[in-house]
Amino acid sequence: MKRKKKKLTTLLILLLILIIVVMVFFFGSRKEKIKHLTRPAVPGTAATQTKEVQLKKVTLFFLSESDDLLHPEEREIQVSNLNEEAEAVVEELIKGSRSGKLNPLPENTRVRQIFVTSEGTAYVDLSRHLLEASYYGSSGEMAAVYSIVNSLAYNFKEIKRVSLLVEGNERETLGGHIDLSRPFLPDYTLVAR
Amino acid sequence: MPKLLKSVLIIFIFFFGLSLMVPTPLQAQKSKKSIPTLKVTVEDFSGGSRLRITSDQNLVFSIRKSGYVLVITFRALLGLKIEKQSFSSQLITSVDLAKSPEAYLLMVKARTENFNFSHNARKSPFEIIVELKNKEDTKRAETAAAAPADKTLEPTATPPTTATETTLNQKESSRKQVKTIVIDPGHGGNESGAKGIYGTLEKDITLAVSKKLKEEIERGLKYRVVLTREADVSVPLERRAAIANNNKADLFLSIHLNGSRRVNASGSETFFLSLNATDEEARRLAYFENNSEELGSRVPEKDFDDLKLILWDMAQSAYLKQSSQLAEFVQLELNELLNTRNRGVKQAPFKVLTGAACPAILVEVAFITNPEEEKLLQSEDFQSKVAEAIYRGLNRFLQLYEKP
Repeated sequence: MKRKKKKLTTLLILLLILIIVVMVFFFGSRKEKIKHLTRPAVPGTAATQTKEVQLKKVTLFFLSESDDLLHPEEREIQVSNLNEEAEAVVEELIKGSRSGKLNPLPENTRVRQIFVTSEGTAYVDLSRHLLEASYYGSSGEMAAVYSIVNSLAYNFKEIKRVSLLVEGNERETLGGHIDLSRPFLPDYTLVAR
Repeated sequence: MPKLLKSVLIIFIFFFGLSLMVPTPLQAQKSKKSIPTLKVTVEDFSGGSRLRITSDQNLVFSIRKSGYVLVITFRALLGLKIEKQSFSSQLITSVDLAKSPEAYLLMVKARTENFNFSHNARKSPFEIIVELKNKEDTKRAETAAAAPADKTLEPTATPPTTATETTLNQKESSRKQVKTIVIDPGHGGNESGAKGIYGTLEKDITLAVSKKLKEEIERGLKYRVVLTREADVSVPLERRAAIANNNKADLFLSIHLNGSRRVNASGSETFFLSLNATDEEARRLAYFENNSEELGSRVPEKDFDDLKLILWDMAQSAYLKQSSQLAEFVQLELNELLNTRNRGVKQAPFKVLTGAACPAILVEVAFITNPEEEKLLQSEDFQSKVAEAIYRGLNRFLQLYEKP
């Protein structure tokens, strides 16, 4: 009886170890995913300030009313990894122009996630508010798409193509005009010289 | 005690199961560095051929038939390799893997267009079994009577030399004598498009203008005109281009109205497709551009070999030169007749234009969000003027290409 009990306890211990290993695997991979989704909750908190925030200059493209072309504007964003810097660029685009250009993206749009593949395709996942850009016809869709595509490709050499997702899903178009089913290459002919 | 053991075992199995499920497909593909390989075998059975595709990893795929080619599309982020055994089959001539910008395509070429297919798929281990059955075997009596003899020979035709190409074109032109223009009234149904301050909806005006344009063309030219919608209904974008292709259209015109956040934006502009193509694609497209100098000399469908067929959903790429010309003429006439601000000819990746296998443009007549232009667009008089301007533009284009 005692020996049987002993055998059982060793078995139990072995099982426990296995469970722990499995759980580490489970939560470990989970954590990685979360890390990738969250961004600094409050930028500029005491912790990050003491670390000396490094900034870098980026160029954003906004549509001008007068010539229907994209015009560059400079911003500073925090230095971080590629995905987060790309998110910062799109968030700055959403905040809008500082020189009276048209804002290409509805101001309540949220960046859900940006992920850049090793082949250079940036998947930009935005909230459904983006669809409001299509209230303004094809020119509204063009402005929304190419302000994002050109701004990302211009600032990050790792990004060669941009694929737009809405609420995590692929869409045919925003509102019946511009084809979203293929990744976009930047189009610098739309930029004012 | 054994009870405890049992419950611990159950918990263990539960967690083990979870751990298998947790990694998302993306992570799984990332963590597994190896590129999935497709193993393809082909074997015949009576009345058809069976294609067996297996892989070490589960893949997302879709199957469609396009002419005499069966296209199996795989979404593979990491890449895809193929291992195939040599085979000889009564129905399948070749199996090849090609890459398009966002997916991999397994092109299964058959000897004839007249085949049916059915498929079965299994996961872990991943396996697709596709059965191709010769329609002719079952329907030989009917098809022999209905189809001309050369139809069954087409797929096995030799690769096109200049000589065969001309005969093919002759065949094409004799087959279709009535020329067709397809007009696409933008939006429709629950997609009303842009909206004016006075409540005018884009979908209503585009339909009204399209109908007037149809009348105008039918009055002045010996062309058949087809509208992609005759009423206030919603038509998917791909369907609109398909209507043009199914009717063997010679021109495709999509009519839209513009919108803007600022009320004083105004004017007319005409678009043709911008390619947004990768280098690899661009090289293939050059082929088309060189082969479509004349209107009517459409790229013969059977000339679309494996690589070119990938672009069938980008058929417009073969007609960009002509489309830009058509756009120029239409824009010119719009400026002349309408007195609207000239916003010029532009290029954009419009979904509705990508699939059209003929010169195709999209006209943004005026801004419905501009109160003045909205008023104009409401008036029958202005709508007729728009129709006339577009008609004149396309007439100038057709004269350029029409041979005596």
